[in-house]
Amino acid sequence: MPVAEATRSDGRLPVIILGGFLGAGKSTWLRHQLHEGRFAGYHLLVNEAAETPVDNLLLSGARKISVLAGGCACCAGLPDLLATLRALCDAASGKEAGRIAGILLETSGLADPGRIAAAMAEDPVLSRRLVLDQTLVLVDSLHGVQQLTAEDLARAQIEAADELILTKPAAADPVTLARLALSLSVLNPGAMLSAAEQGVAVPLPEPVPGLAPLDLPALGRSEPILPYRLDVGRDGGWVALSTWLSALLHARGDDIVRIKGVVRTPAGRLLLQSVRRVVQSPEILPDDDEALAGPAPEEGVIVLIGRGMDAERLALSWRRFGT
Amino acid sequence: MCSACGFPAAPGHWTDAGAQTPGDRLRLRFARLEAINRLLAAYGLKAWDDGVTPGLQLFAPGGQRELVPDLASLWEAAERMAGQPVDPLSDRALAGG
Repeated sequence: MPVAEATRSDGRLPVIILGGFLGAGKSTWLRHQLHEGRFAGYHLLVNEAAETPVDNLLLSGARKISVLAGGCACCAGLPDLLATLRALCDAASGKEAGRIAGILLETSGLADPGRIAAAMAEDPVLSRRLVLDQTLVLVDSLHGVQQLTAEDLARAQIEAADELILTKPAAADPVTLARLALSLSVLNPGAMLSAAEQGVAVPLPEPVPGLAPLDLPALGRSEPILPYRLDVGRDGGWVALSTWLSALLHARGDDIVRIKGVVRTPAGRLLLQSVRRVVQSPEILPDDDEALAGPAPEEGVIVLIGRGMDAERLALSWRRFGT
Repeated sequence: MCSACGFPAAPGHWTDAGAQTPGDRLRLRFARLEAINRLLAAYGLKAWDDGVTPGLQLFAPGGQRELVPDLASLWEAAERMAGQPVDPLSDRALAGG
C-alpha cells in the first residue's frame, strides 16, 4: 500500500484523506489500522459536522489527534480546517520538525473529499507545504447501494477516491455486494478496490458472471442533510431516550441517516451510534476522561443527522415523551 | 471486533443496554413500559409487561393482541395495528399536549 512513511525529498507533508458516507465505518477502520501500527507518526485530524465530537473517543490508539467539530470540513468548517493545517505545517517545520510523518484527515460523513483537496490546492501556503498522498473512501456494503441510488454526495465521494474500501462485507448479501463492487468500478474505474471487515482486510466478493452494474438514476436537488442537536439532560433518561429514539428510527429511519451521542445510564456512560435503522450495540465508555483520546465527550447531548426535521419539534417531542 | 483494540460491547437489543444487574434490568423494563405507553397513547394502543413473560404484549382497542420480543418489533406491530407508524414527531403524537 503506497503510504509514505519516509519523509519526502521535497519536504512536503503527505496528507491522506479518509472519507466515506455517514456511518460507513471510518473510525472503526481507522482504529484497527492504528492498532496495527499503520499511520504511525501521522497527525490525525478528525472532522465532525456536528458540534459534539464523539469519533475521537474511538481513536484512543492515536498518538496525536485534533478534532475539528461544528462544521463539515468541505463547506462550513473549511476555514477551520485550512487554519489547522497551516498550524500543523508550522509545527512540522518548527518544534515538531521531523516528528510528523504526515497528516491523516478523517472527514465527516457529509464531506466531499474532492472539495477538500481542491481547497488545499488553492491555498497559497498549503499547496507548497502539503501534498495529497491518497484519498481513501469507505463504502458501506449494507447501505452503499441505497446511498448511491439516492445521494449525490455518496457518488461525489466515490468519484474523489484513489482507493475504495468496502466495509461490513460479511453482513451483506454476496450478489448485492458483487453488484455494488461492479458499480463502484464503473463510477470510478481508476480507484483500487478492496474490502475490510472491522478494519481487517478480507477478499473482495467473487465477480458474478452476467451481472449488470446498478442502474443509477440522475439525481435532482433533494432536501439537504443537516445535523440537529438535542439536549437530553445529564442525569438518567436512558430508558425514555432509547424508547423514544427507537420509535423515531422506526418511523423515520430513511430520513435520519445518523444518530450519535453519549448518555449516562445506570451501567455507565454509553456511546450511542446509529446508521439509518441500524443501531450499534452501545459501547460503555470508561468514566475516566483521561483514558479517552481528545476532548471529553459532552454528556447528555444527542446529535441527529438527517433531513425533514426541525430542531424545535425535536425538542418539543423530547419534552413531551422523554421527561 | 478485534479483541485487542475494542471497548466491551453491551449484548442484546440496543435499548437493553444501560442495565447490567438483574435489578436494573427489571427497573428498566417497567420504566420503559411507561415511556412506550406515553408514545402509544395517541394511537389508541397499549403495551403491557408483567416483568415475568419475556418481551412485551401489545393491545389494540379491537381486542387484537400481539407478543413482541423487543422494541424494534413493538413499533412494527404498532404500525400494523394503527395503520401508520408511531412517529414521535408527527402532529398526531404531539397533539393534545
